[in-house]
Amino acid sequence: MRAERHAKLQDQLAAQGLDGLLLLGTSAVTYATGAGAPACDSGRAALLRMVAVVVAGAEHPWLFTPWPEGAPPDLPAGHVGPAAVPDTVDGAGALGSALADLLPGGARLACDEVPHPLAAALDRASVSLVPAAGVLGPAKLCKTGDELACIRQAQHVNEQAMLDVYPLVRPGVTQTDLSAVFLRRIVELGAEQNGIDPIWQPMPLSRAGGPWTVHGDLAFPTPSAPRPLVEGEVIWVDTGVHVGGYASDFGRTWIVGDDPQPTPRQQDQFARWRAVVEAVLAVCKPGITALELGQAAIAADAAASGGRRPWIEHFYLAHGVGTDSAEMPMIGTDLGDAFDETLVLAPGMVLVLEPVIWDDGAAGYRSEDIVAVTDDGWMPLSDHPYDPFVPA
Amino acid sequence: MSVLADPSCVDDEALRADRRSRLFAAMARDGLDALVLGRPAEVAFASGARQLWTAGSRPFGPACVAVGATGRVHLLSVSDFDVPPEVGHDDLYGLSWNPANLAAALTAIPGLADAQRVGTTSSSPGLPRLLAAAAPRAEFVDGSGALWAARSPKSPSEVDRIVAACGIARAGLAAMEAVLAPGVTERDLLAAYLAAIAAAGAPTPPSEGVACATPTYGPVALRRIAGREPIEAGQLVALDAGGFFRGYEGGLGRTRAAGGTPSLHQAELAARGRAAVEAVIATCWAGATGSSLLEAWASTGEPLPPEPLAVGVGLGLEPPVIGSGLGAGTVLAPGTVLAVTGWVAEEGIGGVLERDLVLVTDGEPRRLTEDA
Repeated sequence: MRAERHAKLQDQLAAQGLDGLLLLGTSAVTYATGAGAPACDSGRAALLRMVAVVVAGAEHPWLFTPWPEGAPPDLPAGHVGPAAVPDTVDGAGALGSALADLLPGGARLACDEVPHPLAAALDRASVSLVPAAGVLGPAKLCKTGDELACIRQAQHVNEQAMLDVYPLVRPGVTQTDLSAVFLRRIVELGAEQNGIDPIWQPMPLSRAGGPWTVHGDLAFPTPSAPRPLVEGEVIWVDTGVHVGGYASDFGRTWIVGDDPQPTPRQQDQFARWRAVVEAVLAVCKPGITALELGQAAIAADAAASGGRRPWIEHFYLAHGVGTDSAEMPMIGTDLGDAFDETLVLAPGMVLVLEPVIWDDGAAGYRSEDIVAVTDDGWMPLSDHPYDPFVPA
Repeated sequence: MSVLADPSCVDDEALRADRRSRLFAAMARDGLDALVLGRPAEVAFASGARQLWTAGSRPFGPACVAVGATGRVHLLSVSDFDVPPEVGHDDLYGLSWNPANLAAALTAIPGLADAQRVGTTSSSPGLPRLLAAAAPRAEFVDGSGALWAARSPKSPSEVDRIVAACGIARAGLAAMEAVLAPGVTERDLLAAYLAAIAAAGAPTPPSEGVACATPTYGPVALRRIAGREPIEAGQLVALDAGGFFRGYEGGLGRTRAAGGTPSLHQAELAARGRAAVEAVIATCWAGATGSSLLEAWASTGEPLPPEPLAVGVGLGLEPPVIGSGLGAGTVLAPGTVLAVTGWVAEEGIGGVLERDLVLVTDGEPRRLTEDA
């Protein structure tokens, strides 16, 4: 898997005439090197960094890391260096010197972030920079079989942990109580990292009853707190864990109660959500555009919604997942229809389908199911009950 | 001892106002008309908003803009949930995947179009072009100096929060101590730690690298990725817990023997580790240099640890970084909080990690971690 990813990055560097790739973002370093690491707060991860360097034509990437024990076993010892601290002048100088040993003078690099001290060091070496997204995006877009297996395993761990959380969703239990059980279970089940503070968001009955938003649509997701759950509340759940460097994405709608029973109106919301997912999957295969998938989703719910897009204004109908919890392909974003029309499904793309059925006055239903595009259709990467909702 | 409650909420108005005035004062001193912030901790510092925590570092982007002329802080946030009232609805801009829409949102920020000098705290290859659309007359400069001038010296209220975070870390440490026994794994310890800090109302860890069992034979290395091997009786296990209180980080590291009392040699090693950390802490006076901390460690005869000896702590980790070949020229300023981490190891015995937080003052250094 690491060799396949390295080859893809090398292909992109060659195609774009670049001398190398300099990566500072955690998920990008994971992709380029396969390095293991403990999950860290963003400030810690930015100060004492992992950095990846991919040199055009080189057999292996270079990894600078605070955690040498996470370096892949096949990475030669000379390719593993100490943590980079490019936010400080002396740390940036040290990284700049290391780069000078690996790259030709006046190199042209793709890069995702340049702290100012590092920018100064690179400038002294006459290095020029272009955005890394142009290299990473095409490489990451279609997953290999091994990558799909990692996503499936991460999702499985996430789903198994939720089987232990779900029975606790009762009045008086707090959001962070649920997080405590979830975080314990994911580690016991083999997750390598937790990726996001688990979301257990109580939804208002109407948009107007929720937090103010810039676009008038729903506020989601909001962070958790030691806030007790209330009988009958509709809870939107969203979590993600990592296995082999790959993220899961779990989404479900739950109802707080000792034995919650959805009302007929709530059950209808779920039926509409299912209809949208089924309509999307019915056309999901290589060659179909993202725009066509979005149109299928809108059409499936048009009778009930009046043609409103069944997803949240600031998000999407679907997004990919990989070493990032949300990555391309993204379908239905503010990139617009013209963009979606150019995005053509291909084998290996992963779609986290997350339509939202909002039924103002009675909250709404949101879940996430994951599929991978295959040679002639799709296959599921997620498998979890919709309790307390019952499929028709 | 702190009596603060509610670890996961928007912080007090007085603290927010103080941070904001420090930020705008630092911007004025550095001649910055605006400061563009991107990293979650600095966005929290400037805006006071409580935003969703995600692990790891993401590439820099304009998530928050402070404008000197208006004194307003503009925040990338779809909703006003846990956004304090001084950041009004007009000050929020939404999430965009389309750079053209982000540029338009930035262009609409009052005062930015007239800015002559705009600081950013980090950068990316695409950022200058994006910002030039919103501030066409501006020169873009390194604004991280202003940010750190505002963030580094901690107010007494901020120190209180770091102390409260140490309390959450202590709950995590106690949970690991309760579980530690022959046969458990580092992952079991991590699971217990995460459950404990979540039960304390603050589920996000500064790091999941909290447990390291060290071998009683062969080379001893400090590792941070939890393993699945059963810990054996008599192994020294480094337990390095952290916690957050309203975004402020606390932590403490202690080393325990699995299955009871450490051997005589292990107790001697533990005493050496403790003494070396105390030697460093004793030098943490305002005006001391990074070199003096490194010399204090070296004077104990122990080899320099693989991880930095001292790192700044506040809303997560901060500069300075002293050790690992860095920071010798740092001069400690009053109000800085440092995490001092010591590590000593001996083949045939194991390894000892000790970590304490210390507040640099003009007088005696103040230890923020009580003995545990």
